[in-house]
Amino acid sequence: MAAVITSAGRYQHSARAQAFLDQVESGKYNRQIITGLGKFLDGSAPNEMRTLYSAAELKSLAQLKGSVRDVEKRMPVKVTQHYFELARNSPSLQTLIKASPKETEDLSGAPDPGKQMDYSPVEGLIHKYELGLIYVASTCSAHCRFCYREELIAGKEVERPDGTVAPKGLAEIGSIVAYIQQHNSEVARNGGRHPQTGRERLREILMSGGDPMVLANKNLAAWWSALAEAGIENIRVGTKELAFFPERFDRTFFAMLDHFHQAYPGVRLRMMVHFNHPDEFLKKDVSGQYYDDPEGGLQWVAATKRAIVELGKREWLTIDNQAPIINGINNDPDVLRIMQRELRRNRVENHYFFCGRDIIGHKAFNVPIEEAWRILNQSQKGLSGVETHARLSITHYKGKTEVAAVTNQPLPGVPGTERGFVVLKLLRSAADAPHRGKVTIVGRNPEAIWFSGYDDRVIYDEAGLFTDVSQECGA
Amino acid sequence: MTFVVGENCIKCKHTDCVEVCPVNCFYEGPNMLVIHPDECIDCALCVPVCPVKAIYAGSDLPMDQAMFLDLNAQLATTWPSITVRKPALPDADRWNGEPGKRVLLER
Repeated sequence: MAAVITSAGRYQHSARAQAFLDQVESGKYNRQIITGLGKFLDGSAPNEMRTLYSAAELKSLAQLKGSVRDVEKRMPVKVTQHYFELARNSPSLQTLIKASPKETEDLSGAPDPGKQMDYSPVEGLIHKYELGLIYVASTCSAHCRFCYREELIAGKEVERPDGTVAPKGLAEIGSIVAYIQQHNSEVARNGGRHPQTGRERLREILMSGGDPMVLANKNLAAWWSALAEAGIENIRVGTKELAFFPERFDRTFFAMLDHFHQAYPGVRLRMMVHFNHPDEFLKKDVSGQYYDDPEGGLQWVAATKRAIVELGKREWLTIDNQAPIINGINNDPDVLRIMQRELRRNRVENHYFFCGRDIIGHKAFNVPIEEAWRILNQSQKGLSGVETHARLSITHYKGKTEVAAVTNQPLPGVPGTERGFVVLKLLRSAADAPHRGKVTIVGRNPEAIWFSGYDDRVIYDEAGLFTDVSQECGA
Repeated sequence: MTFVVGENCIKCKHTDCVEVCPVNCFYEGPNMLVIHPDECIDCALCVPVCPVKAIYAGSDLPMDQAMFLDLNAQLATTWPSITVRKPALPDADRWNGEPGKRVLLER
Protein backbone atom coordinates (compact mmCIF):
# COMPACT_ATOMS: atom_id res chain seq x y z
CA MET A 1 0.00 0.00 0.00
CA ALA A 2 1.34 3.45 -0.85
CA ALA A 3 1.31 6.26 1.69
CA VAL A 4 -2.02 8.05 1.70
CA ILE A 5 -3.41 11.17 3.24
CA THR A 6 -6.86 10.45 4.57
CA SER A 7 -9.67 12.97 4.42
CA ALA A 8 -9.04 13.86 8.06
CA GLY A 9 -5.55 14.97 7.09
CA ARG A 10 -3.88 12.22 9.08
CA TYR A 11 -0.93 10.69 7.32
CA GLN A 12 -0.87 6.92 7.01
CA HIS A 13 2.47 5.31 6.40
CA SER A 14 2.94 2.88 3.52
CA ALA A 15 3.68 -0.78 4.18
CA ARG A 16 7.31 -0.13 3.27
CA ALA A 17 7.55 2.73 5.74
CA GLN A 18 5.76 0.74 8.42
CA ALA A 19 8.23 -2.12 8.03
CA PHE A 20 11.04 0.38 8.62
CA LEU A 21 9.25 2.07 11.53
CA ASP A 22 8.64 -1.28 13.22
CA GLN A 23 12.41 -1.71 13.50
CA VAL A 24 12.97 1.64 15.19
CA GLU A 25 13.72 1.75 18.88
CA SER A 26 13.47 5.08 20.72
CA GLY A 27 16.11 5.59 23.37
CA LYS A 28 15.48 7.31 26.69
CA TYR A 29 17.60 10.29 27.61
CA ASN A 30 18.19 12.23 30.74
CA ARG A 31 19.45 15.60 29.58
CA GLN A 32 19.40 17.01 33.12
CA ILE A 33 17.95 20.23 31.79
CA ILE A 34 17.50 23.31 33.93
CA THR A 35 14.78 25.54 32.52
CA GLY A 36 14.10 29.04 33.76
CA LEU A 37 15.98 31.41 36.01
CA GLY A 38 13.62 30.47 38.84
CA LYS A 39 15.75 27.51 39.91
CA PHE A 40 18.80 29.71 40.11
CA LEU A 41 16.90 32.45 41.91
CA ASP A 42 15.34 30.20 44.54
CA GLY A 43 18.48 28.08 44.94
CA SER A 44 16.80 24.84 43.87
CA ALA A 45 19.20 24.26 40.96
CA PRO A 46 21.58 21.34 41.56
CA ASN A 47 24.44 22.38 43.86
CA GLU A 48 27.22 22.68 41.32
CA MET A 49 25.06 24.43 38.73
CA ARG A 50 24.24 27.25 41.11
CA THR A 51 27.64 28.69 40.34
CA LEU A 52 26.56 29.50 36.76
CA TYR A 53 25.21 32.87 37.92
CA SER A 54 26.72 35.15 40.54
CA ALA A 55 24.48 36.71 43.18
CA ALA A 56 24.91 40.11 41.50
CA GLU A 57 23.92 38.70 38.10
CA LEU A 58 20.83 37.07 39.52
CA LYS A 59 19.84 40.27 41.27
CA SER A 60 20.01 42.37 38.12
CA LEU A 61 18.10 39.72 36.11
CA ALA A 62 15.43 39.43 38.80
CA GLN A 63 14.87 43.19 38.68
CA LEU A 64 13.88 42.93 34.99
CA LYS A 65 11.27 40.25 35.64
CA GLY A 66 7.85 41.23 34.33
CA SER A 67 9.13 44.40 32.64
CA VAL A 68 9.56 44.98 28.89
CA ARG A 69 13.19 44.13 29.47
CA ASP A 70 12.44 40.69 30.94
CA VAL A 71 15.12 38.51 29.30
CA GLU A 72 13.15 35.33 29.85
CA LYS A 73 10.22 36.67 27.87
CA ARG A 74 12.59 37.20 24.95
CA MET A 75 14.07 33.73 25.22
CA PRO A 76 13.43 31.15 27.94
CA VAL A 77 16.56 30.14 29.85
CA LYS A 78 17.54 26.51 29.32
CA VAL A 79 20.78 24.56 29.78
CA THR A 80 21.79 20.90 29.87
CA GLN A 81 24.18 19.48 32.43
CA HIS A 82 26.59 18.59 29.59
CA TYR A 83 26.73 22.15 28.28
CA PHE A 84 27.00 23.57 31.77
CA GLU A 85 30.10 21.41 32.33
CA LEU A 86 31.63 22.72 29.11
CA ALA A 87 30.74 26.32 29.96
CA ARG A 88 32.23 26.21 33.44
CA ASN A 89 35.68 26.72 31.99
CA SER A 90 34.67 28.86 29.01
CA PRO A 91 33.65 32.54 29.12
CA SER A 92 32.49 32.24 25.48
CA LEU A 93 30.13 29.37 26.20
CA GLN A 94 28.82 31.23 29.23
CA THR A 95 27.93 34.14 26.95
CA LEU A 96 26.07 31.68 24.73
CA ILE A 97 24.01 30.09 27.49
CA LYS A 98 23.65 32.62 30.30
CA ALA A 99 20.90 35.21 30.33
CA SER A 100 22.24 38.74 30.61
CA PRO A 101 20.56 42.12 31.13
CA LYS A 102 22.50 43.34 28.07
CA GLU A 103 20.16 41.32 25.83
CA THR A 104 17.30 43.73 26.29
CA GLU A 105 19.20 47.01 26.63
CA ASP A 106 18.65 47.90 22.97
CA LEU A 107 15.42 46.46 21.59
CA SER A 108 15.64 48.06 18.14
CA GLY A 109 15.52 45.85 15.06
CA ALA A 110 12.87 44.15 12.95
CA PRO A 111 10.75 41.18 14.05
CA ASP A 112 11.46 39.32 10.81
CA PRO A 113 14.08 41.02 8.59
CA GLY A 114 14.28 37.98 6.28
CA LYS A 115 10.48 38.25 5.73
CA GLN A 116 10.19 34.51 6.27
CA MET A 117 6.42 34.43 6.51
CA ASP A 118 6.19 35.56 2.86
CA TYR A 119 7.62 32.18 1.94
CA SER A 120 5.35 30.01 4.07
CA PRO A 121 2.68 28.32 1.93
CA VAL A 122 1.80 25.74 4.60
CA GLU A 123 1.98 25.95 8.40
CA GLY A 124 5.46 25.05 9.58
CA LEU A 125 7.05 25.24 6.10
CA ILE A 126 9.30 27.91 4.61
CA HIS A 127 9.81 27.26 0.90
CA LYS A 128 12.82 29.24 -0.27
CA TYR A 129 15.21 28.45 -3.07
CA GLU A 130 15.04 24.76 -4.03
CA LEU A 131 14.80 23.93 -0.35
CA GLY A 132 11.92 23.54 2.03
CA LEU A 133 12.52 24.29 5.69
CA ILE A 134 10.16 22.68 8.17
CA TYR A 135 9.76 23.43 11.85
CA VAL A 136 9.43 20.06 13.55
CA ALA A 137 10.13 20.98 17.17
CA SER A 138 9.69 24.19 19.11
CA THR A 139 12.55 23.73 21.52
CA CYS A 140 16.16 22.63 21.76
CA SER A 141 17.96 20.83 24.57
CA ALA A 142 19.38 24.17 25.63
CA HIS A 143 18.79 27.71 24.37
CA CYS A 144 21.42 29.94 22.74
CA ARG A 145 20.81 33.43 24.04
CA PHE A 146 21.33 34.82 20.52
CA CYS A 147 18.74 32.51 18.94
CA TYR A 148 16.86 34.23 16.10
CA ARG A 149 14.04 31.67 16.15
CA GLU A 150 12.88 33.28 19.34
CA GLU A 151 9.35 33.68 18.00
CA LEU A 152 9.05 29.90 17.72
CA ILE A 153 10.95 28.96 20.85
CA ALA A 154 9.29 31.58 23.04
CA GLY A 155 5.89 30.98 21.39
CA LYS A 156 5.48 34.58 20.20
CA GLU A 157 2.80 35.67 17.81
CA VAL A 158 3.86 36.56 14.28
CA GLU A 159 2.07 38.45 11.56
CA ARG A 160 1.30 36.60 8.33
CA PRO A 161 1.25 38.21 4.89
CA ASP A 162 -2.58 38.14 5.03
CA GLY A 163 -2.47 40.26 8.18
CA THR A 164 -3.53 37.57 10.64
CA VAL A 165 -1.51 37.15 13.81
CA ALA A 166 -0.85 33.81 15.52
CA PRO A 167 2.00 31.84 17.04
CA LYS A 168 4.13 29.97 14.51
CA GLY A 169 2.86 26.42 14.24
CA LEU A 170 4.84 23.24 13.72
CA ALA A 171 4.84 21.26 10.50
CA GLU A 172 2.65 18.18 10.24
CA ILE A 173 3.65 15.22 8.09
CA GLY A 174 0.37 15.02 6.18
CA SER A 175 0.22 18.64 5.09
CA ILE A 176 3.93 18.83 4.22
CA VAL A 177 3.77 15.66 2.11
CA ALA A 178 0.66 16.97 0.35
CA TYR A 179 2.42 20.26 -0.44
CA ILE A 180 5.54 18.54 -1.79
CA GLN A 181 3.47 16.23 -3.98
CA GLN A 182 1.33 19.03 -5.33
CA HIS A 183 4.29 21.35 -5.97
CA ASN A 184 6.30 18.65 -7.67
CA SER A 185 3.44 17.49 -9.86
CA GLU A 186 2.82 21.09 -10.99
CA VAL A 187 6.52 21.39 -11.78
CA ALA A 188 6.49 18.12 -13.72
CA ARG A 189 3.42 19.14 -15.72
CA ASN A 190 5.11 22.42 -16.59
CA GLY A 191 8.32 20.94 -17.96
CA GLY A 192 10.54 21.22 -14.91
CA ARG A 193 9.71 24.68 -13.57
CA HIS A 194 6.82 25.79 -11.43
CA PRO A 195 4.43 27.85 -13.58
CA GLN A 196 4.14 30.69 -11.01
CA THR A 197 7.43 30.78 -9.13
CA GLY A 198 9.83 29.26 -11.66
CA ARG A 199 11.19 27.00 -8.96
CA GLU A 200 12.39 23.51 -9.66
CA ARG A 201 11.17 20.35 -8.02
CA LEU A 202 11.54 20.19 -4.24
CA ARG A 203 14.38 17.75 -3.73
CA GLU A 204 15.58 18.75 -0.32
CA ILE A 205 13.92 19.38 3.03
CA LEU A 206 15.67 20.93 6.00
CA MET A 207 14.27 19.80 9.32
CA SER A 208 14.68 22.60 11.79
CA GLY A 209 12.96 24.14 14.77
CA GLY A 210 13.96 24.08 17.50
CA ASP A 211 16.17 21.08 17.17
CA PRO A 212 14.88 17.95 15.42
CA MET A 213 17.23 15.88 17.56
CA VAL A 214 15.01 16.50 20.59
CA LEU A 215 12.47 14.27 18.85
CA ALA A 216 12.42 10.57 19.62
CA ASN A 217 13.88 8.21 17.00
CA LYS A 218 10.42 7.04 16.02
CA ASN A 219 9.32 10.62 15.29
CA LEU A 220 12.43 11.30 13.22
CA ALA A 221 11.92 8.01 11.40
CA ALA A 222 8.29 8.84 10.63
CA TRP A 223 9.35 12.16 9.06
CA TRP A 224 12.22 10.65 7.09
CA SER A 225 10.24 7.80 5.57
CA ALA A 226 7.34 10.12 4.68
CA LEU A 227 9.68 12.65 3.05
CA ALA A 228 11.51 9.88 1.18
CA GLU A 229 8.26 8.55 -0.21
CA ALA A 230 7.15 12.04 -1.20
CA GLY A 231 10.18 12.15 -3.50
CA ILE A 232 12.64 14.06 -1.32
CA GLU A 233 16.20 13.00 -2.14
CA ASN A 234 18.12 14.89 0.53
CA ILE A 235 17.04 15.40 4.11
CA ARG A 236 18.88 17.96 6.16
CA VAL A 237 18.80 17.87 9.94
CA GLY A 238 19.74 21.21 11.53
CA THR A 239 20.98 20.45 15.02
CA LYS A 240 23.05 21.78 17.88
CA GLU A 241 22.63 18.57 19.83
CA LEU A 242 26.29 17.59 19.32
CA ALA A 243 27.15 20.56 21.52
CA PHE A 244 24.21 20.42 23.95
CA PHE A 245 23.76 16.69 24.49
CA PRO A 246 25.99 14.45 22.37
CA GLU A 247 24.77 11.36 24.22
CA ARG A 248 21.62 11.71 22.10
CA PHE A 249 23.63 10.10 19.29
CA ASP A 250 23.42 6.70 20.89
CA ARG A 251 23.17 3.09 19.74
CA THR A 252 19.43 3.36 19.07
CA PHE A 253 19.93 6.43 16.88
CA PHE A 254 22.62 4.84 14.75
CA ALA A 255 20.59 1.63 14.47
CA MET A 256 17.72 3.77 13.18
CA LEU A 257 20.05 5.46 10.67
CA ASP A 258 21.14 2.10 9.34
CA HIS A 259 17.60 0.78 9.06
CA PHE A 260 16.62 3.95 7.23
CA HIS A 261 19.45 3.58 4.76
CA GLN A 262 18.48 -0.02 4.12
CA ALA A 263 14.88 0.95 3.52
CA TYR A 264 15.61 4.08 1.43
CA PRO A 265 19.12 3.67 0.00
CA GLY A 266 18.72 6.57 -2.44
CA VAL A 267 18.03 9.21 0.18
CA ARG A 268 20.95 11.22 1.53
CA LEU A 269 21.10 12.69 4.98
CA ARG A 270 22.82 16.02 5.50
CA MET A 271 23.58 16.72 9.14
CA MET A 272 23.81 20.50 9.49
CA VAL A 273 25.54 20.86 12.80
CA HIS A 274 26.06 24.01 14.81
CA PHE A 275 29.30 24.56 16.67
CA ASN A 276 30.06 28.17 17.54
CA HIS A 277 33.29 27.61 19.40
CA PRO A 278 35.87 24.80 19.80
CA ASP A 279 35.21 24.83 23.56
CA GLU A 280 31.99 23.04 22.61
CA PHE A 281 33.86 19.93 21.50
CA LEU A 282 37.51 20.11 22.65
CA LYS A 283 38.88 19.07 26.03
CA LYS A 284 40.48 21.86 28.06
CA ASP A 285 42.81 21.83 31.02
CA VAL A 286 42.26 24.07 34.06
CA SER A 287 44.34 26.86 32.53
CA GLY A 288 42.07 26.84 29.48
CA GLN A 289 44.51 25.13 27.08
CA TYR A 290 43.44 22.42 24.67
CA TYR A 291 45.21 19.08 24.85
CA ASP A 292 47.31 17.90 21.92
CA ASP A 293 46.24 14.53 20.65
CA PRO A 294 49.40 12.41 20.26
CA GLU A 295 47.78 10.90 17.17
CA GLY A 296 47.39 14.35 15.61
CA GLY A 297 45.19 17.38 16.12
CA LEU A 298 43.57 18.15 19.46
CA GLN A 299 41.69 16.00 21.95
CA TRP A 300 37.91 16.07 21.77
CA VAL A 301 35.24 15.65 24.42
CA ALA A 302 34.70 11.89 24.40
CA ALA A 303 30.94 11.79 23.81
CA THR A 304 31.11 14.35 20.99
CA LYS A 305 33.98 12.54 19.33
CA ARG A 306 32.12 9.25 19.51
CA ALA A 307 29.08 10.78 17.85
CA ILE A 308 31.11 12.43 15.08
CA VAL A 309 33.07 9.25 14.38
CA GLU A 310 29.88 7.19 14.16
CA LEU A 311 28.22 9.72 11.88
CA GLY A 312 31.36 9.84 9.75
CA LYS A 313 31.36 6.08 9.23
CA ARG A 314 28.17 6.34 7.22
CA GLU A 315 29.28 7.37 3.75
CA TRP A 316 25.74 8.18 2.62
CA LEU A 317 25.49 11.16 4.94
CA THR A 318 27.44 14.40 5.13
CA ILE A 319 28.18 16.65 8.09
CA ASP A 320 28.39 20.43 7.64
CA ASN A 321 28.90 23.07 10.28
CA GLN A 322 27.31 26.48 10.07
CA ALA A 323 27.33 29.12 12.77
CA PRO A 324 26.79 32.81 13.24
CA ILE A 325 29.67 35.03 14.32
CA ILE A 326 28.50 36.40 17.64
CA ASN A 327 29.91 39.15 19.81
CA GLY A 328 31.55 37.76 22.94
CA ILE A 329 31.35 34.16 21.74
CA ASN A 330 33.38 33.57 18.59
CA ASN A 331 34.39 36.98 17.21
CA ASP A 332 38.00 35.91 17.44
CA PRO A 333 40.14 34.73 14.48
CA ASP A 334 42.14 32.26 16.60
CA VAL A 335 38.96 30.62 17.88
CA LEU A 336 37.55 30.25 14.39
CA ARG A 337 40.88 29.00 13.00
CA ILE A 338 41.06 26.16 15.54
CA MET A 339 37.42 25.32 14.98
CA GLN A 340 37.67 25.13 11.18
CA ARG A 341 40.85 23.04 11.35
CA GLU A 342 39.55 20.54 13.90
CA LEU A 343 36.14 20.15 12.28
CA ARG A 344 37.58 19.49 8.83
CA ARG A 345 39.99 16.92 10.26
CA ASN A 346 36.99 15.07 11.64
CA ARG A 347 34.88 14.94 8.49
CA VAL A 348 32.84 18.04 9.26
CA GLU A 349 32.78 20.47 6.34
CA ASN A 350 32.86 24.18 7.19
CA HIS A 351 29.83 25.44 5.31
CA TYR A 352 28.74 28.94 6.32
CA PHE A 353 29.46 31.53 8.90
CA PHE A 354 26.60 33.98 9.25
CA CYS A 355 26.27 37.62 10.07
CA GLY A 356 23.74 38.06 12.86
CA ARG A 357 20.32 39.34 11.87
CA ASP A 358 19.09 42.79 12.68
CA ILE A 359 16.38 41.33 14.81
CA ILE A 360 14.76 42.68 17.96
CA GLY A 361 16.85 41.91 21.02
CA HIS A 362 20.02 41.11 19.09
CA LYS A 363 22.08 44.26 19.43
CA ALA A 364 24.17 42.74 22.24
CA PHE A 365 25.19 39.87 19.95
CA ASN A 366 25.69 41.63 16.62
CA VAL A 367 29.16 41.91 15.11
CA PRO A 368 29.31 44.50 12.31
CA ILE A 369 29.36 42.93 8.83
CA GLU A 370 32.79 44.24 7.88
CA GLU A 371 34.28 43.16 11.21
CA ALA A 372 32.80 39.66 10.81
CA TRP A 373 34.41 39.45 7.37
CA ARG A 374 37.77 40.57 8.78
CA ILE A 375 37.58 38.00 11.60
CA LEU A 376 36.75 35.13 9.25
CA ASN A 377 39.36 36.18 6.69
CA GLN A 378 41.96 36.51 9.41
CA SER A 379 41.01 33.10 10.81
CA GLN A 380 41.57 31.49 7.44
CA LYS A 381 45.10 32.79 7.10
CA GLY A 382 47.35 29.82 7.82
CA LEU A 383 44.65 27.23 7.18
CA SER A 384 44.96 24.69 4.42
CA GLY A 385 42.75 25.32 1.38
CA VAL A 386 40.36 22.50 2.21
CA GLU A 387 39.85 23.98 5.66
CA THR A 388 38.76 27.35 4.30
CA HIS A 389 35.58 26.38 2.44
CA ALA A 390 33.35 28.41 4.74
CA ARG A 391 31.97 31.66 3.43
CA LEU A 392 30.48 34.57 5.29
CA SER A 393 26.79 34.79 4.50
CA ILE A 394 24.09 37.30 5.29
CA THR A 395 20.48 36.46 4.61
CA HIS A 396 18.86 39.18 2.51
CA TYR A 397 15.14 39.19 1.89
CA LYS A 398 15.99 38.36 -1.70
CA GLY A 399 18.33 35.53 -0.94
CA LYS A 400 21.48 34.25 0.62
CA THR A 401 24.29 36.72 0.04
CA GLU A 402 28.00 36.26 0.49
CA VAL A 403 30.13 39.03 1.94
CA ALA A 404 32.85 38.30 -0.59
CA ALA A 405 35.41 41.02 0.07
CA VAL A 406 36.05 44.13 2.12
CA THR A 407 38.88 46.46 1.14
CA ASN A 408 40.31 49.68 2.53
CA GLN A 409 41.38 50.82 -0.92
CA PRO A 410 39.31 53.33 -2.89
CA LEU A 411 38.26 52.53 -6.44
CA PRO A 412 40.01 55.26 -8.45
CA GLY A 413 37.54 57.77 -9.81
CA VAL A 414 34.50 56.18 -8.12
CA PRO A 415 32.83 58.46 -5.59
CA GLY A 416 31.69 56.80 -2.37
CA THR A 417 34.66 54.42 -2.20
CA GLU A 418 37.09 56.82 -0.52
CA ARG A 419 37.22 54.67 2.62
CA GLY A 420 37.17 51.41 0.63
CA PHE A 421 34.26 49.22 -0.43
CA VAL A 422 32.44 45.95 0.21
CA VAL A 423 31.65 43.32 -2.44
CA LEU A 424 28.45 41.32 -1.90
CA LYS A 425 27.55 38.38 -4.08
CA LEU A 426 24.12 36.80 -4.32
CA LEU A 427 24.43 33.06 -3.76
CA ARG A 428 20.79 32.12 -4.12
CA SER A 429 17.72 34.19 -4.66
CA ALA A 430 14.91 33.39 -2.31
CA ALA A 431 12.33 32.49 -4.91
CA ASP A 432 14.32 30.77 -7.63
CA ALA A 433 17.83 30.72 -9.04
CA PRO A 434 18.34 33.12 -11.97
CA HIS A 435 20.22 35.83 -10.08
CA ARG A 436 22.94 33.62 -8.65
CA GLY A 437 26.40 35.13 -8.91
CA LYS A 438 25.25 38.71 -9.31
CA VAL A 439 27.24 41.31 -7.43
CA THR A 440 26.54 44.41 -5.39
CA ILE A 441 29.23 46.91 -4.36
CA VAL A 442 28.74 49.37 -1.51
CA GLY A 443 30.96 51.98 0.11
CA ARG A 444 32.25 50.98 3.53
CA ASN A 445 30.36 51.48 6.76
CA PRO A 446 32.24 49.77 9.61
CA GLU A 447 29.20 50.12 11.89
CA ALA A 448 26.73 48.40 9.54
CA ILE A 449 25.11 45.27 10.96
CA TRP A 450 22.51 44.89 8.20
CA PHE A 451 21.92 45.91 4.58
CA SER A 452 20.17 49.04 5.79
CA GLY A 453 23.56 50.30 6.94
CA TYR A 454 24.49 50.69 3.28
CA ASP A 455 21.31 52.24 1.90
CA ASP A 456 23.05 55.60 1.38
CA ARG A 457 26.24 54.25 -0.23
CA VAL A 458 25.28 51.79 -2.94
CA ILE A 459 27.76 52.01 -5.82
CA TYR A 460 26.73 49.16 -8.06
CA ASP A 461 23.72 46.88 -7.61
CA GLU A 462 23.57 44.17 -10.23
CA ALA A 463 22.14 41.78 -7.61
CA GLY A 464 19.29 44.21 -6.89
CA LEU A 465 19.76 44.02 -3.13
CA PHE A 466 18.88 47.68 -2.70
CA THR A 467 16.08 48.09 -5.22
CA ASP A 468 12.52 48.54 -4.04
CA VAL A 469 11.33 45.36 -2.36
CA SER A 470 7.72 45.84 -3.41
CA GLN A 471 8.64 45.90 -7.12
CA GLU A 472 10.94 42.95 -6.88
CA CYS A 473 8.93 40.72 -4.58
CA GLY A 474 9.19 37.14 -5.79
CA ALA A 475 11.48 38.04 -8.71
CA MET B 1 11.49 22.90 34.94
CA THR B 2 9.35 20.22 33.46
CA PHE B 3 5.73 19.90 32.52
CA VAL B 4 3.46 18.39 35.11
CA VAL B 5 0.21 16.42 34.89
CA GLY B 6 -2.16 17.79 37.50
CA GLU B 7 -5.18 16.57 39.39
CA ASN B 8 -7.74 16.83 36.62
CA CYS B 9 -6.22 13.87 34.79
CA ILE B 10 -7.40 11.55 37.56
CA LYS B 11 -10.33 9.34 36.50
CA CYS B 12 -10.34 10.96 33.02
CA LYS B 13 -7.02 9.78 31.52
CA HIS B 14 -7.49 10.99 28.00
CA THR B 15 -4.27 10.03 26.26
CA ASP B 16 -4.04 12.66 23.51
CA CYS B 17 -0.82 13.86 25.10
CA VAL B 18 1.13 10.66 24.55
CA GLU B 19 0.69 10.93 20.80
CA VAL B 20 2.20 14.39 20.50
CA CYS B 21 5.03 13.91 22.99
CA PRO B 22 8.26 13.84 20.95
CA VAL B 23 10.25 12.10 23.66
CA ASN B 24 7.67 9.60 24.98
CA CYS B 25 7.95 10.83 28.55
CA PHE B 26 4.42 9.89 29.68
CA TYR B 27 3.87 7.05 32.14
CA GLU B 28 0.58 5.36 32.84
CA GLY B 29 -1.07 4.45 36.11
CA PRO B 30 -4.49 2.88 36.65
CA ASN B 31 -6.41 6.18 36.45
CA MET B 32 -3.86 8.91 35.64
CA LEU B 33 -0.83 9.73 33.50
CA VAL B 34 2.34 11.44 34.69
CA ILE B 35 5.38 13.05 33.03
CA HIS B 36 8.95 12.00 33.74
CA PRO B 37 10.64 15.29 34.67
CA ASP B 38 14.11 14.25 33.50
CA GLU B 39 12.90 13.13 30.10
CA CYS B 40 10.52 16.02 29.38
CA ILE B 41 12.16 18.56 27.06
CA ASP B 42 9.72 21.41 27.75
CA CYS B 43 8.32 21.54 24.23
CA ALA B 44 4.79 22.32 25.50
CA LEU B 45 3.05 20.32 22.75
CA CYS B 46 1.01 18.32 25.28
CA VAL B 47 -0.59 21.32 26.96
CA PRO B 48 -3.05 22.38 24.23
CA VAL B 49 -4.09 18.84 23.26
CA CYS B 50 -5.25 17.81 26.74
CA PRO B 51 -9.08 17.86 26.58
CA VAL B 52 -9.35 18.53 30.32
CA LYS B 53 -6.47 21.04 30.60
CA ALA B 54 -4.65 18.91 33.16
CA ILE B 55 -1.08 19.70 32.07
CA TYR B 56 0.91 22.67 33.33
CA ALA B 57 4.37 24.11 32.78
CA GLY B 58 6.24 23.59 36.04
CA SER B 59 6.69 27.35 36.34
CA ASP B 60 2.92 27.93 35.92
CA LEU B 61 1.83 25.24 38.34
CA PRO B 62 -1.03 26.60 40.48
CA MET B 63 -0.40 26.55 44.22
CA ASP B 64 -3.08 23.91 44.82
CA GLN B 65 -1.38 21.60 42.32
CA ALA B 66 2.11 21.90 43.82
CA MET B 67 2.10 18.35 45.20
CA PHE B 68 1.83 16.97 41.67
CA LEU B 69 5.35 18.08 40.81
CA ASP B 70 6.89 15.50 43.14
CA LEU B 71 4.12 13.01 42.47
CA ASN B 72 4.88 13.02 38.72
CA ALA B 73 8.58 12.51 39.39
CA GLN B 74 7.92 9.67 41.79
CA LEU B 75 5.25 7.78 39.84
CA ALA B 76 7.09 8.11 36.49
CA THR B 77 9.77 5.82 37.83
CA THR B 78 7.34 3.07 38.84
CA TRP B 79 4.61 3.16 36.18
CA PRO B 80 5.07 1.80 32.62
CA SER B 81 5.67 4.04 29.63
CA ILE B 82 2.68 4.84 27.38
CA THR B 83 3.25 5.94 23.80
CA VAL B 84 0.06 4.93 21.99
CA ARG B 85 -3.26 6.67 22.46
CA LYS B 86 -6.19 4.70 23.78
CA PRO B 87 -9.78 5.46 24.82
CA ALA B 88 -10.31 7.65 27.87
CA LEU B 89 -11.73 6.12 31.04
CA PRO B 90 -15.49 5.36 30.78
CA ASP B 91 -16.76 8.25 32.90
CA ALA B 92 -14.13 10.74 31.83
CA ASP B 93 -16.62 13.46 30.94
CA ARG B 94 -18.44 13.17 34.23
CA TRP B 95 -15.23 13.41 36.25
CA ASN B 96 -13.80 16.35 34.30
CA GLY B 97 -13.44 19.27 36.70
CA GLU B 98 -14.67 17.40 39.78
CA PRO B 99 -12.87 18.86 42.79
CA GLY B 100 -10.93 16.75 45.28
CA LYS B 101 -10.11 13.94 42.85
CA ARG B 102 -6.63 13.52 44.27
CA VAL B 103 -7.92 11.17 46.97
CA LEU B 104 -9.10 8.84 44.19
CA LEU B 105 -5.64 8.44 42.66
CA GLU B 106 -4.81 4.76 42.25
CA ARG B 107 -1.16 3.82 42.26
